[in-house]
Amino acid sequence: METSFALTGKGYVIVAADTTAARSIVKMKVDEDKIKEISPHLLMAYSGEPGDTVQFAEFVERNIRLYQIRNLYPLRPSAAASWIRRSLADSLRSRSPYSVNLLVGGYDTATHEPKLYWIDYLGTQVDVPFGAHGYGSYFALSLLDRYHDPEASLEEGLATLKRCVDEVAKRLVVSPGRYKVKVVDKDGVREVEI
Amino acid sequence: MSIMEYNGGSVIAMVGKDCVAIASDLRLGNQALSISSNFQKVFPVTDRIYVGLPGLGTDVTTLRERFRYRINMYTIKEEREIEPETFAHLVSSTLYEHRFGPYFIEPVIAGLSKTPSGGVKPLIAAADLIGCLNFAKDFVVAGTASTKLLGVAEGLWEPDLEPEDLFETISQTLLNSVDRDAFSGWGAVVHVITKDSIISRTLKGRMD
Amino acid sequence: MARRYDSRTTIFSPEGRLYQIEYAMEAISHAGTVLGVLAKDGVVLAAEKKVTGKLLDLSGEGGYGGSGEKIFLLNSNVIGGVAGLTSDANSLVNYARTAAQQHLLSYNEDIPVELLAQRLCDMKQGYTQYGGLRPFGVSLLYAGYDPHYQFQLYHSDPSGNYSGWKATCIGANNGTAQSLLKQEYKDDILVKDAIALVLKVMSKTMDSTTLGSEKLEFAVLTLDESTKQPKAKIYKPSEIDALLRAEGLAKTDGDTEMKSA
Repeated sequence: METSFALTGKGYVIVAADTTAARSIVKMKVDEDKIKEISPHLLMAYSGEPGDTVQFAEFVERNIRLYQIRNLYPLRPSAAASWIRRSLADSLRSRSPYSVNLLVGGYDTATHEPKLYWIDYLGTQVDVPFGAHGYGSYFALSLLDRYHDPEASLEEGLATLKRCVDEVAKRLVVSPGRYKVKVVDKDGVREVEI
Repeated sequence: MSIMEYNGGSVIAMVGKDCVAIASDLRLGNQALSISSNFQKVFPVTDRIYVGLPGLGTDVTTLRERFRYRINMYTIKEEREIEPETFAHLVSSTLYEHRFGPYFIEPVIAGLSKTPSGGVKPLIAAADLIGCLNFAKDFVVAGTASTKLLGVAEGLWEPDLEPEDLFETISQTLLNSVDRDAFSGWGAVVHVITKDSIISRTLKGRMD
Repeated sequence: MARRYDSRTTIFSPEGRLYQIEYAMEAISHAGTVLGVLAKDGVVLAAEKKVTGKLLDLSGEGGYGGSGEKIFLLNSNVIGGVAGLTSDANSLVNYARTAAQQHLLSYNEDIPVELLAQRLCDMKQGYTQYGGLRPFGVSLLYAGYDPHYQFQLYHSDPSGNYSGWKATCIGANNGTAQSLLKQEYKDDILVKDAIALVLKVMSKTMDSTTLGSEKLEFAVLTLDESTKQPKAKIYKPSEIDALLRAEGLAKTDGDTEMKSA
């Protein structure tokens, strides 16, 4: 089943999401990228109702890009997350709400801080040191409670992520096979292998 | 499953002698799973008013933002800060606007209003999710631990408590009540509003 | 026939001019002077009040935003100074405050200063194009702070043009004031010196021979030492008089001659 994790460390945020695109009990695709790079220092992992996810992610991506084109600087992570949250909260009480859960991770170039926001389809937003969505969250959150360190180096952060991935692979009945992992820090976003 | 219990969280407010206190837990959950232990649901409105918004997480944020908008416009146009009574009715009418598709929030308001003689008068109020106001002389409760809060407050509260004693009373009431509630807890935040200062403290509870 | 291209804002004259816009700008050049200076650690704004008189009720001390005729708090991070038709200005100030709060509602951050100027200019520009409407007879100075470009000073005019400045002036005698500012302004000027510069230029450009709180409005935007958040201070009349005394520009009994700062 769909699972995504994210955690902050010293000057970076790691965002990871599984790569399966499933329909009913069938895996349709095993290399789907579910983490969008929505601005130079912002990542967004999305999961939820197929169809809604990509539609909403592209809607967000384009609006954030439009702001950047108009103002010559991108939205800061907190502002972007607030805008995304509002979009979901408005959508919730509309005729056809989006069912999309998000992890928005970014590096704030004004304050030089990594930022991570946990957002669900209702528009619930919270600033967290680490977060997860999907069935994997039931395993990952307790591991992260134990091993997360906000001062950890990138290597240590990736090792903690690896623990989460391995635990889900070991204990979850319908565990996803592969994950895509992206990091955002002062140099921008990049993909890493675990 | 009730929408009001989906994210969990509780708020309480109490009256003291020329002071009021408001306190909340810090949990945000998804039913039984805790997501955050730092989710604020009590917000400053002016230097003398706080509002607590327990209920559905998304509406906590939405209402907080809407109230901030209204209060900022009020302050900048009126060139003075809003009075607690006025704010209570702003809360009430905002909620009733959505009578048939409500925000799932039961607000708690704590503030000091000015008296003509230059003193202050404590005011606390609670509302249901469609804005029915309840002004109380002693204490008001809301949230998933409201039943427990009511019982403990009934036992601990007494009239005319000084700020430090009020702080102790509200803190003990909240911490002991949320221990009996699976959906509230993970630490607490307490604000005591007095004539010339605000005492804000973050408390650790049973962090499990 | 001379009035053919005058009567409507939206019609170009054969020389490619919009007369109503030019008339609006002309109206502003007779309005009370508003002056702004950008410093390294803040922005200073001063304005000349035109509506004065013995019978004017000045009992309002001015609260949250100051009891301004020309200087207004637009948002917690932006102060606006207006020159032109006061009634038009009030409408624009209200629009600016709403726009700023809308931004706060959408993004949970104070509106960037340039964006606020753009919001107002989009509206002003509209009135140069849609038929049957009169343009706003108002120029504004925006003194603000945001984390993107720190302290900023912008100017916007009735056509909807805006530009950023280190020091500028709108209203009556703006030419004199600007050439004075050009001579005296130094990069890396501090707020303390900017206040002195603003008052000095004001005293030289204003019609009246003496400076006093009944003719002057004054505001400073700085960063709060402890919170690092922008702190807008619009001076109350008593504070303006105190400031003038401190700068040695206050009127003295029986002596109307001013000492230079």
